[in-house]
Amino acid sequence: MNCTTARDNFAALLDRRTALTAHLDARTHLASCPDCQREFSSLSQTLAALDAMPTPSPSPRLRQNFYAMIEEEKNSAASIQVATARDRRARRVSLLGWILAPITAVALLVLGFVAGQRSTPPPAPAGDTVAMREEIKSLQEQVSKMGQLVGYSLLQQQQRPANDRLRGVLTSATVENPNDKVLNDLIGSLALDPSTNVRLRALEALYPHADQEVVRAGVLASLPREQNPLVQVSMIDFLAAARDREAAPALEKISTSDSADPSVRDAARRALTQL
Amino acid sequence: MDTATDQRSDHALMLAVRDGELDALGELFERHHGQLFGFLVKYTGDRAAAEDVAQTVFQRMLKYRHTYRDDGSFTAWMYHLARRCAADHFRKSNAAPHATDPVALGEHADDAPHAAQHATVRDDHALLHTALAQLDRDDREVLLLARFQELSFAEIAGILECSVGAAKVRAHRALRELRDIYFQLQKESRP
Repeated sequence: MNCTTARDNFAALLDRRTALTAHLDARTHLASCPDCQREFSSLSQTLAALDAMPTPSPSPRLRQNFYAMIEEEKNSAASIQVATARDRRARRVSLLGWILAPITAVALLVLGFVAGQRSTPPPAPAGDTVAMREEIKSLQEQVSKMGQLVGYSLLQQQQRPANDRLRGVLTSATVENPNDKVLNDLIGSLALDPSTNVRLRALEALYPHADQEVVRAGVLASLPREQNPLVQVSMIDFLAAARDREAAPALEKISTSDSADPSVRDAARRALTQL
Repeated sequence: MDTATDQRSDHALMLAVRDGELDALGELFERHHGQLFGFLVKYTGDRAAAEDVAQTVFQRMLKYRHTYRDDGSFTAWMYHLARRCAADHFRKSNAAPHATDPVALGEHADDAPHAAQHATVRDDHALLHTALAQLDRDDREVLLLARFQELSFAEIAGILECSVGAAKVRAHRALRELRDIYFQLQKESRP
């Protein structure tokens, strides 16, 4: 065996999982070749140094955040179970509707035909069609406003369980063109809601509207109140992504604050480089 | 924690988490967070970042628990997630890990009985930290996975999405690269 072939086996010889079963030929060569001995020894020393490197322990914050996250998820999981049960009920109703719909349609058709035979209605004037379109448009607007109202009422009732508040935020997030009221409520949830999960979801819901000054100002104003590093870092990332130069003084302050969590300080420093 | 939970394997615990027993993830956290954090500190070269990434790994375990497979290996899955989370971290911070300041390593205790030995050992750790930080990120990753995480090369290959042979070759090449940097730094620091 030559040096090249022997060195191909060094990986196996150095690996504690395969060292015992590695090629005998390579060992024999190693015992008699000073160059290979030097190479093997230097790799061996590096691995020994690597193995001796101390492994630091994480701060207690990691454990605290983990168990807080589990609790949040349990609440969310409960809400998902409720939602799943509701969906199942909705599917049953929908199935019934699917069966009944053709029967109802045929019955209505027959009724319409009979009624049409008995009376000949005058052709609808063009003005009526325009009026009907306007009425449909008005109804659509009302439905959209109702969706927003559901979001408001859920968001505003902070005393309700976190699941309901979370659902309120999620409902508001689905509104295509939210008005100022919806955005204000989302900012309010971000600033004041006691649940980390709700605050994070509110921030997520605000992302598509980061181009609006009121939204950026709301997130910036909420930042000093926030105590949870996870949410603080998310807020800082938001402001950095929105390239909000107004945030620079606040981020400077956080980046040098001894009381801020190290991860938050790092996030602030990173954000400052992006502004 | 009851004895029954203690005796369950990682895989059984993760399957329980997948089926809705969220408290089982607490046992997995207690078993693995230290080692995961150790890997991430060496990989990112930054304690705060390592803690954030470790936090995100457990968040994703919870979020994507339904994707855990019946025939899966929990440790391999955890490092697969850790790799993705660390990649996100590097993308966000858009910065390579910083070389560790040797002064900051004073906090690492060692068992050397004398001050001179203590200083030498500490210096060696600092040099190795620096050498690791200078290593290419992919090389550092494969080396740390292969050396510390008690994973088989088949599992490492699965995590890195390459063949077993390629994983072995990459790990050995990374070791040689680390050796060269480490010895060079030693030469420069001890004229």
